[in-house]
Order: sequence, then structure tokens, then C-alpha cells
Amino acid sequence: MLTVSGLSKRHPRASRPLFSALAFHIAAGEIVALVGESGVGKSTLLNCIAGLESADRGAICIGPQALDIVRLDETARAALRAQHIGFVFQAFHVLPTLNVAQNISVPLLLCGVPAGEHASRTQVLLERVGLAGFGERWPASLSGGELQRVAIARALVHQPALILADEPTGNLDPRTAGEVLSLLLERVREQQTSALIVTHSQPLAQCCDRILALTPDGLQ
Amino acid sequence: MTTLAWWLICAQFRTRRAATLLSMLAIALGVALGYAIHLINDAALADFARAMQTVQGDPDALLAARDSAGSVPLESINDIARDPAVLVIAPVIETRVRIEPARTPVRLIGLDVFSAAAVMPKLLPRQSDRVAGNLFDGGVYVSPALLGQLGLSAGAAVTLRRGDQHWATTIAGDLPGTGPDDLLLVADIAWVQEHFGPANAVSEGRVRLAPATDPASWRAALAGQLPAGLLLRAPDDESARVSNLSRAYRVNLNVLALVALLTGAFLVFATQLTAVAQRSTQFALLGVLGLSPRMRLLQVLLEGLAIGVPGALLGLALGYVLALAFTQLLGGDLGGGYFAGSAPRIVPQMLPALIFLALGCVASLAGALYPAYLNREQPLAQALKIGFAQRPPAGDAQRVRRLLPVLLALAALVLTQLPAIFDLPLAGYTAIALVLVIGIASAPLLTQNVFGGFARRSLPAPQRIAIQNVAQAPLMAQVAASGLIVSFALTASMVIMVSSFRVAVDHWLDEVLPAPLYLRSKSTPLPQELLAALTRPEVPFARVEQSAQASLTIDPQRPNVALLVREIERSHPEARLPFTGPVLAPPAGDIAVVWISEALHEIYRIAPGQTLRLPLLGRAIEVFVGGVWRDYSRQFGAIAISRDDYQRLGGDFQPTDLALWPRPGQEAAATAWLAPYTGQYGLEVADAAEIRRLSLSIFDKSFAVTYALEAAAMLIGLFGLAVTLAASVCLRARELATLGALGFSRRMLSRAVMLEGALIAAVGLFIGLACGIAIGTILTQVINPQAFHWRMSLHIPWPALLAGAGSTLVAAVLASHYAARQATRLPVAQVLASAQ
Repeated sequence: MLTVSGLSKRHPRASRPLFSALAFHIAAGEIVALVGESGVGKSTLLNCIAGLESADRGAICIGPQALDIVRLDETARAALRAQHIGFVFQAFHVLPTLNVAQNISVPLLLCGVPAGEHASRTQVLLERVGLAGFGERWPASLSGGELQRVAIARALVHQPALILADEPTGNLDPRTAGEVLSLLLERVREQQTSALIVTHSQPLAQCCDRILALTPDGLQ
Repeated sequence: MTTLAWWLICAQFRTRRAATLLSMLAIALGVALGYAIHLINDAALADFARAMQTVQGDPDALLAARDSAGSVPLESINDIARDPAVLVIAPVIETRVRIEPARTPVRLIGLDVFSAAAVMPKLLPRQSDRVAGNLFDGGVYVSPALLGQLGLSAGAAVTLRRGDQHWATTIAGDLPGTGPDDLLLVADIAWVQEHFGPANAVSEGRVRLAPATDPASWRAALAGQLPAGLLLRAPDDESARVSNLSRAYRVNLNVLALVALLTGAFLVFATQLTAVAQRSTQFALLGVLGLSPRMRLLQVLLEGLAIGVPGALLGLALGYVLALAFTQLLGGDLGGGYFAGSAPRIVPQMLPALIFLALGCVASLAGALYPAYLNREQPLAQALKIGFAQRPPAGDAQRVRRLLPVLLALAALVLTQLPAIFDLPLAGYTAIALVLVIGIASAPLLTQNVFGGFARRSLPAPQRIAIQNVAQAPLMAQVAASGLIVSFALTASMVIMVSSFRVAVDHWLDEVLPAPLYLRSKSTPLPQELLAALTRPEVPFARVEQSAQASLTIDPQRPNVALLVREIERSHPEARLPFTGPVLAPPAGDIAVVWISEALHEIYRIAPGQTLRLPLLGRAIEVFVGGVWRDYSRQFGAIAISRDDYQRLGGDFQPTDLALWPRPGQEAAATAWLAPYTGQYGLEVADAAEIRRLSLSIFDKSFAVTYALEAAAMLIGLFGLAVTLAASVCLRARELATLGALGFSRRMLSRAVMLEGALIAAVGLFIGLACGIAIGTILTQVINPQAFHWRMSLHIPWPALLAGAGSTLVAAVLASHYAARQATRLPVAQVLASAQ
């Protein structure tokens, strides 16, 4: 579902590349943890995979058609993200001006799922993340854990091929983090989706199928 | 996608109610003014066309004298009547008479009922059953509107008076074909001629051609054979002339409406830019989730349109209501004095409504364009992490940014040197728009350069924070300042223009009102009884000067030119006329001298020293142009000629106005001496001070709409500042909370935000004042001369401008107090905890 090959990135005024010639593959349904020290380039790698930053060299092939996001223009990258990628962020990033159900259905709108299916699919996801009855609530009235559940539901609602998660439990207390983590892994496995999870948390990393460690010398 | 767009628009309206509503209102105001002016003018012209059609009928051509004091000889009418191409020619005598005891003269039309039936059916009289005499017995027929006004009915005896001539007659019936506003009388042409003249001549001949004749070709063929004093007009020349009469005034009002629309566009710009900045993380998230750059751009444009469409619709409704109200209060000419007495019926129109709706939408889209572009260009990963980020321009872009104001200033300078296009100062208006763009474009440069230097100095913490914020966030400063720049520039420029104009009019009145007392009849000659009495030695007047006014048609499509016959010394005209340049002595011989007004000099490109052939007294008379004088009361030109020259040329001098110098100490006796005449003949007497006061009061009234717009513009500018500062504070909530956590008290934070507001306002006002002076100069030196042919010296009322700037600065500080309250309202811990 995700194949990275020969990926290199150097920041404009940096003396050495952030990473070079990275290569790895994540199979369908596989959950991979990406660990590494701060500043090593984990988030940049995630951004490159999502097409939010440009790589200097290499290829990143995503989804069933193995489209190389590096070669796509901005519009095509946006379309690929809408169709095949789901995101979970450390800072939740839930739209404060939309209610919970509307937040979850945003990816459905973006990838053109018929409007008739929105309510049912959103409802199913709300139940699966333990937020049944929260659809009409506004984000401001939710706790951090609940907001992250909304983000997980939103990441999964359009059944993407790949989930990219950047420190998904970083802003949560240990108990809530555990609950959210279990939920995320459970739902990802249930949907047979691939996932790449950037984390500093060893317990989280241990729960994944595989761990990739990014160091200044490359992936290990 | 439309669902998401709709959700986001609704959210925008929900969360930014005040700013969105104000932007909407600003757009509505611009559309309303434009639409109202259009509706009123259109209705006034339609009303005029209808009234003209009633009186003029539906002829193929009109034969008239070029000189309003002149007439069409009967031989000319008979010559044309003999032309086989002419079906009928209807002779008409038109004059103005007073119906005693009323003071205001009305139109008396003398016609030949048989030919009039073919050309002017709406003027055909209806005989009253109660009256024995008819048209041919010397009865007059009165329009129902005039009958209502006079409170008379058929059978009533009336006396019609014109100067010394009078006619005692009977109302024999009415004029059923006339409209509800038509105040006129009709009588048989022979009776009118007998009582008021002219002998062996008529005012006009209205021609109906045989069906096979092409009117344009016939008119062209005959025009060359006519005597110099006669003119053959097409019937629609009159419509064009009336339309031209108010054209510049109308365009000026429309430009004011466009200015309101422009202010609306700026407000949409400020609202949308702050909205984009505030929601940059949300838009970045949508971008990450798959919303394409194009859709992010379109979303902001749609939000702009969501402000523009309801704003413009509201504006159309408001415009209709305004048009109804304005016509009731100011008449069909909006106080411009072009269609006196007209109160036309306002009818909403679909096509103009659609055009103004589109203009409102275009203004809101234009305002949203740059924010939409920024939204598309925001780097997603960065915006998701730290929110809205303004990237500093690259080296080349920075150079372009610095050069742009200079290049635009040069372009504006070139535009001010261009002549009027289609008689309108279009290049001047474009130069004004450029000056505003220069002002806005220079705001970030000024903030960076001035405050960048200050920020490096050792200052107390709140001041340092405020100055750094202004210096380092030039885009927000630009947005906040732009509203003030535009509104203060426009206000200052109008203040400068009005002040320059008022000072000029004041000086001009000094020169054109040399006598202490003035007497005038209303368009009818003064009675001989009065003129004779004034020559007696015992009168309480040391000096009396007579003058008469007529009009000349130089170009049938342009408004008539005034002809002033005055007691002026040929060798010393500067004693009575305010010349703008040297007075030239006429060449040897007995050529008549005329002195032309500035408007005539500019419209017809006639210069002093030239000789002209004027259509005067029924022939083309060669005259020498001795100089150009300033005239603020006749926008379409005036020609002054001495009474001696006029009479020498064969003119019948019938004075309509008197300038009177009472003997010293006999001022009261002079007024008392005049009283019997004014009462008997319906004359008006006014002293110079009263005329001056009345003139300046009319001047002030005619600019009242402008003052209201200025106040609205300033309020909008201040609100824009408050909204942008509040948004800027909201964007920096985390930063301010961090400062709070580090030990800044609420008071210090509040002071920092208020100082920031004051600094931005100071920049806005400084640039606004500079732009205002530039625009004021363009208005007085380019727009006024080109649109109205009024030249004047520039007068900058510094005390008023500085007081305005000072009070706006205070208001801006108060407005930024609102933002400061926002900044310190939430507990620091809560802001830090909720920061994403």
C-alpha cells in the first residue's frame, strides 16, 4: 500500500540532507511505527509521504494504483490524499466550526461519496469510536480523548488505503492514550488499512506490526 | 463539495457576525447609492421626455432661433411650408407670463389649432360648456395641474402679464392631454402674438414631413440654406441636450457610489484576510484531507460572494427606497438644479438592477481575491503547525514592492495630464484610484522601515512588543491600515475640494456682487414704469446698472449658452467681471467685444484674441473675444456683452435684472421705494449679503450627501481597524497568553495592544492624509475643470484636517481598546491549555 524508494530531502539552508535514499514498504493491513529522536525528520518524512512537502529525490507510491505522489502536481496530490489517505494528528485538528458529525463526514465530501451514504457511514464510525450520540455536539464541548476519537473516525470514514498518524497520543494522559491507541489499532486492523504511526511512545510502537527507526544515518 | 462550502460559509457567518454584516452593509450602501442615482436620473429624464413630448409633440424637425431673444420670421415658416416634402408646419409662440396675482411665471403657448392637431395633439384644448367664448375669441386653456395650483376653473377671468404687457382674458377650458406636472397655458397664436409679440415672427416651427421623406436627409439638406440665426433641430436633440445637462453631475454622483462600493470591497478584503488568517489551520487541515488548492481559493471567493450577493440584493432594495425618498426631498436632479420642479415617478428596472447586483458581486469578489490567493498559497504543513504565516517576499519581489508605488505615482501623474475622455474626467478618476493603491501598497514599507528601526531601541516591554508586532507583521498592519487610508484619504480629499471650492466661490461672490442691492424679474422683462422711475433725480439710488439675460444655441446637442447683456465699459470690463487672465483690447474698428466664461473657453476651445461668428439677433455676427472670466453659476458657459455693443448690433435691450447702489444713509428708503413695484410686478429684491448667504447655503446643501458619505466611510474605516486588530489579537492569543504567563500584567498587555492600534492608525492617517491631499489636488485641478469647467486654487484647510486626524486617532485608540479587551479577556491558563 505504501512503497518508498530512494527518498532524499534536504532543507534549503541545511549543510547536510535530513535523510537520503530512504526505502521501505508497508503492505496492505500492516501497521508500522516510525520512531526516532526529535529533529531527525520523522514529521518531514510523513509530510513528504502525504505530499505536503516535496522530496528532492525518490518515489512514494501509494494506494492500489501505486501512484507516485512525488511526481504529482498539487491538485492531484490533494485528490490522492482525499481518496487514499487518512490522517490523525497529535493536536487533533478538528474543525471548531463544524459539529462532530460534519467533521467526520468531511473526507466523504472531499472524495465524492454520494450524500445519501454520509449519515449512515458517519453513524457507524461514531459508534465504533465510542461516540454514539455525539454527532450534533460541537468540538468545544469535547475532551481531548473525545476529540482524538473524532479525528480517528474522520481518518477512517472514507476507508483509505493508508493512515498517517503523527504522535496520535502525544497530547493525551496515559489512560486516555491507551484507550485511544487500542481504538486506533483495532479500527485500522478491522478495515485492513495500512498505517504509518510516528511516535515517541515505546508502548505504542510495541503494539505495531513493525518498527522503523529513523536516525541521521537512515532507517534501521 | 457544495455541502462543505456551504458549511464553511455558514460557520463564517456564525463566528464573524459583526465583520460580515458590516462588509455586507458597505456593499449594500455602494449598490444602493448607484442604483438610486440611476433610478432617479432615469425617471427624471423619462419625466422630462414625457413633458417635452406633450409640449413639443412628435415633429420630424424643429425650426427655431439660435438666440432665445430672437424668433423665426414668418417668411421662413412660409418658405418651408411650400416645400413639397413638408406635410405640415405648425407655428408656435412660446413665452412666459405671470397670471396675476401669482409671482412665478408659467409657459404660455400660442398655437394654430389646425396644424397643431397634426404635430402636437396633446396640446389641443377642450372647450368648457360653461364658457361662451372659444379659442378664436381670445380664450386661454389651462392645464389641469395649473388650474389646481391656481384654484381656478373654466370661466374665470385672468390677467396675464409679461413686463409691461398684459392681457385680460378668460379661461375657456382645459388641456386634457397634459400630464399631472405640466403647468402651462395654451391660446390661439394670433392672440398671443397680438399681446406679447413677436410681430411677423414665431418662436418655433414644428415640421411634419411627408411619409416618403427621410427626416435626417431633409434636415441636412435644408440646414445649409437657413439664415445664420436659425437652426433646424432633430426632435431628439432636446433629449440629448437634457441628458448632457446633468451628465457630469450624474457621473460624479456615480463615482461617489463607486467609492462607497470600493470601501465595501476593502472591508470584504479586511474581513476575508483576517478570516483566512484566523482559519489558516482549518484550511490547512482541509488541504491535508484533500481539499485542492483551487478549491481553497474558490472557497474564500465563495465566502466573499456570500457577502456580496445578499449585500447587493439589500442594496437594490435600499436603492429603490432611497430613490423614492430622494425624489421627494431633493427632486429629480438630486439638488443639482438641472430639472427644477421635477418629482418623477420611480420605477424599478430589471437590467440596471442586474448590472448593480453584478457590480456588488464584483466588488466583493475583488475584495476576496488576495485573501483567496494567500489561502491557496499557504504551505499546509507549516500552517497546520503554527497557523497563518506571511512569507517575506523574495529579493525580486521586494524590489518590485519598493518600486511599485513610484511607478504607480508616475502613472497617476501622467493620467492627470490627459484631457477629458467623452467629456468626462475618466483619466482623473483612474489617477485617484491609483493614488489609493499607492497608499495601501506603501503601508507595509512604511511600517517595516519606521518601526523596524524603533524596535531595535531600548523601550519598556509593552511598547517594544507593540512596535515589534507592527514592524514584523506588515500584512496585518496593511490590512488594518488600509481601511483608514482609504476612508481618511477620501474624506480629506473631499474636505480639501469643498474647502477650495467654497473659498473660491466666496471670493467670486465678492467680485460678482459689487452692488449692495439687487432686483430681478423672473425671466420676463422689467416694467418700463420702474425703469422710467429710476431715471428721476429724486430716487434714493446713487447708481443703477441694468442687465438682461438670454440664451444662445451654439451646438444643438449641448446645453444652451447664457448671453449676458450688461452695462459694462468696453475699455474697462474688469470692473464688473472677474477675469482669469489678461483683458485684450479689441482691434481698431467697430467690431463688438464679448468676454467668455471659463466653461465656454474650455467646452468650445475658444481663446481670448479670437474672433467668432455668434448666432445673435437672427444672424451670424462677428465678435472679438476680449478675455475669459470666472463663472461658478453657469456650468455650460456664458458670454458677456456690453449693452452698448448689443444695442449697436440692433439688439432690443430689455433688462431683467438691476444692480442698485442706494445713496449713503438711504438704504432703508431704497427698499421702501422699491416695495410698490415688487408687489405689483412680482419682482424679487435681495441685498448682496443675503444673496451671498443664500448662495453659500445652497453650496453647503449640495455637498450634504458627500458629508454623509464621508462620515460613513470614516466609521467603516474605524470598524475595519477594530475588526482587524481583534483578529490579529485572536491569532496571537497563544503568544499573548505566554507573555501573561511570563509576567506581563493584563494592563501591560492591554497597553501593548492599544499602542499597536494607535501606531497602525497613525500610519494609516499619515498615508491617508498624504493621499487625501493628492486626491484633493486631482479633484480641484483635474476633475472639477474637466467635469464642470470650474477652476479654482487649491486651499488646504490644515486645522480641519489635523483635527479630523486627531479625533480619528482617538477613535482608533478606543476601537483598539475593544481588541485589547479581547486579548486579556480569557484566563492565561485556559488559552495555553486550549492551544492546539
